[in-house]
Amino acid sequence: MIDLSNVSKRFGPRLALDAFSLRVPERSIYGLLGHNGAGKSTAIGILLGQVWPTAGDVRVCGFDVTRDRRHALAQVGAIFETPAFYEYLSGQRNLEILAGYTGPVPRQRVAEVLNWVGLTGRETSAVKTYSHGMRARLALAQAMLPNPRLLILDEPGDGLDPEGIHEMRQTVVRLNRELGLTILFSSHLLTEVEQICTHIAVLHSGHKVFDGSVAETRNSRRLVRLRVGDFDTATRELRQGQLITSVTGDCVELANDIDTPEVVKRLVELGIPVFEVTPTRQTLEEFYLELMNAGRAAKN
Amino acid sequence: MLYLQLRGELWKLFGKKRTYIGFTIILLTQLIVTVVFKYTRGAANMIRTLEGNGYAAEQFLSGLTVATVMLVPIAYVLLPLYVALIGGDMVAKEAEDGTLRMILARPISRVRLLIVKWLAGAVFAVLLVAALAAFGVGFAHLFFRFGSLFVFIPGELFSVFDAADGWQHYGVSNTLLMVKAISIMSAAFMFSCFNVKPAAATILALSFFFVNAVLQEIPYFRDYRHFFFTHHLNIWQLMFGQPIPWWKVGQSLSVLVAFNVSFLVIGCAVFHARDIKS
Repeated sequence: MIDLSNVSKRFGPRLALDAFSLRVPERSIYGLLGHNGAGKSTAIGILLGQVWPTAGDVRVCGFDVTRDRRHALAQVGAIFETPAFYEYLSGQRNLEILAGYTGPVPRQRVAEVLNWVGLTGRETSAVKTYSHGMRARLALAQAMLPNPRLLILDEPGDGLDPEGIHEMRQTVVRLNRELGLTILFSSHLLTEVEQICTHIAVLHSGHKVFDGSVAETRNSRRLVRLRVGDFDTATRELRQGQLITSVTGDCVELANDIDTPEVVKRLVELGIPVFEVTPTRQTLEEFYLELMNAGRAAKN
Repeated sequence: MLYLQLRGELWKLFGKKRTYIGFTIILLTQLIVTVVFKYTRGAANMIRTLEGNGYAAEQFLSGLTVATVMLVPIAYVLLPLYVALIGGDMVAKEAEDGTLRMILARPISRVRLLIVKWLAGAVFAVLLVAALAAFGVGFAHLFFRFGSLFVFIPGELFSVFDAADGWQHYGVSNTLLMVKAISIMSAAFMFSCFNVKPAAATILALSFFFVNAVLQEIPYFRDYRHFFFTHHLNIWQLMFGQPIPWWKVGQSLSVLVAFNVSFLVIGCAVFHARDIKS
């Protein structure tokens, strides 16, 4: 659905994106993560033909965006972090105007989409009277108008209250499951991404530092939560015996080919009281922070 | 498709209150000029000139003459200001507000978008001139009777027409005033395609207009005045000539078409090369 190949973008002397490649499979929910200025919005701008790549190929829905944006974007909907509308016009009028840039959209379709996002009854009110949540729903409505196969969401949860974020998350999952839409989702909210995405790509200062399924991020380190009589002695001994490689809080990371029973056996042999040994998964947040730290260390 | 997109642009343009500032100020100016002309000695000079040339002033002090007198300050100052304001907003305001990103997430080419926007700007320019022409004669005829037309621009023009001819000349002159309005709008539109604020685009266009107007009046440049943009914008005045210098009109129209095409092409080239970011 999306195929970026060695895409670079330079703004003057600053390299915003460096040989970035990404393949987004159909019907996936793909999260694009990274700190501010990592290159997420630049990548999305390039995908939508709004930012010209300095190098590389950009294909959306099988078409080259830089050469044939009419076909590439025909079935693409997009939402940006701060959805901007013509404030003085009604929600319905805004949709009709934006739809006109794609192709003729029957009034019935506009009404259908407004109903779908729950704006029926307020469609004739000026957008300036809308709440933040209503604007977010109108943004979703405009993205849904052309019956898209691909939705590109650039930090859509920004500025929404917890209820709004939850609603947005549910909607994204619904669109993927019920309508089979492919979704590219950039966000700062790691828990949100963890809950809804099937795949993620992580950017750090314009470089891709990870690209894979969310399941891979969980299995990347085998962690065990330890509650023992003397935690310091236990971890020192386990490390000396090369059973663990690192300690993070009350968790230890198992060394390669070592399983939990071997750790328990060693602790019992050492006479250290064991209260709890729980294999645990690394959260996306932990995984992300680790990548960022590694990225910073590599840079230094 | 083009109709749908143009309709959308017109909804945007005429949904904004600031679009009507030009209409309001121009109509107010016309009303004030008419009242001043009626109730002060504003017509004294005109009567003297007519009678000095052997014409019955009464016959020419008509609504049509007053409406034509009003055209001069409006065409030279107010009209350029308001069409530049709208032209400067067309692209730069959308970029500033963030709506341009919403539009360019859709499968419309940048060139097509600009053409549609330019057409909407041209519709505004035409409607503004049509309003000033219609309301001008409307207001003038509230205070002055129907009659013949007298046009006098010191050193340039002295023309008298009977009522029927006068209406024709007034109509054609306003049609060419539309060309002037569109051309200034185009200049502002071109600047609007650059990565600048809307106010900057308007100021740049007005600067271009006024610098041209000032330079062409400097004696040193008199022989080169046909190179200046503003020289050709005054074709609307030629319509009051006796006879009308059609050759000059054709020449100026061709130059203005070339200016408009150049403005649009430069605007398209600049806009096409730009990165549109939030």
